[in-house]
Amino acid sequence: MKYCGMLTATMGLSASFIPKVAEVYAAPRQRPPVVWLQFGECTGCSEALLRTMYPWLDELVLEIISLEYHETVMAAAGYQAEDDLKAAIKKYQGKFICIVEGAISTKDNGIYGKIAGKTFLETANEVCRKAGTVISVGNCASFGGIQAAAPNPGGYKGVSDALGIKTVNIPGCPYNPINLVGTLVNYLLLGKLPDLDDLGRPLFAYGTTVHDQCPRRSHFENDEFVKEFGSKEAEMGYCLYQMGCKGPDTYNNCPTVKFNDGTSFPIQAGHPCIGCSQPNFWDKMTPFFESA
Amino acid sequence: MSRKITIDPITRIEGHLRIEVEIAGGKVVNAWSSGQMFRGIEVILRGRDPRDAPLFTQRT
Repeated sequence: MKYCGMLTATMGLSASFIPKVAEVYAAPRQRPPVVWLQFGECTGCSEALLRTMYPWLDELVLEIISLEYHETVMAAAGYQAEDDLKAAIKKYQGKFICIVEGAISTKDNGIYGKIAGKTFLETANEVCRKAGTVISVGNCASFGGIQAAAPNPGGYKGVSDALGIKTVNIPGCPYNPINLVGTLVNYLLLGKLPDLDDLGRPLFAYGTTVHDQCPRRSHFENDEFVKEFGSKEAEMGYCLYQMGCKGPDTYNNCPTVKFNDGTSFPIQAGHPCIGCSQPNFWDKMTPFFESA
Repeated sequence: MSRKITIDPITRIEGHLRIEVEIAGGKVVNAWSSGQMFRGIEVILRGRDPRDAPLFTQRT
């Protein structure tokens, strides 16, 4: 019940929804089939999922969703893995949730990334178009991410851009797992996806800038800035804007939900925000340690 | 008489790995492993602020 309260608040629903969220968790009959695809990525977004706490991973994959395919956790390999994927998309065509991690190479017909002899582009075209809904997790699947940074040697693009389809985007490097779980629970609870901004991001998580929710905000207003790491000002928790913080240009809920059971987030730990939930942040937000 | 076994994807790892194994008389006589993805992080790093490099390379 405790995590139901946390999740309900993150989703922007009133406290009266807490028992309903608890019902979603208690109703295994609803378990939607999920196919998780990995393309041009570092698996950091799967690592992020491992750190879900509302609920924990075992409950999420065993009781709330039905995880049909995920290369990092599945027992099958090679032909067996290919068969699992084919069987899942055939059995649940039009119904399954396709979660994509990683960007898709489009240059030279996508030869820069292959699985089972097929390019990422071929597999994405085959699987995503048969899904009931496609959720892009992380900046790579959402907007292209690091491999799409200049000069983008493999011609990588986010899923929506590469396939010309609409996706729910949960960007971040990595994203916060509570925002994926919140999106899934919203789908199970209300039968629809959450409201999205013009970049396809759920408004409950990406509606406000990091700057507007920042615990150091009062220092910004008072012109109290850190000018050097390791300084007295840094120790006093002053504003990191002059160290290159991109919080004012970045939409995400890191300051309120934080990571690892609400333990901390980059700015709290003394590092400026790098803007990782924004499109093309590897080019637009760099150099990271220079103010814009 | 040899035969070739290909395992792709190798699962339970991070990354996209393909293993091809040639077997003759019940023994492995040759094997190839290949990473199936090229992103070009080294190329992307060229000319950037060196302070940014660790943030890029964390994501390889």
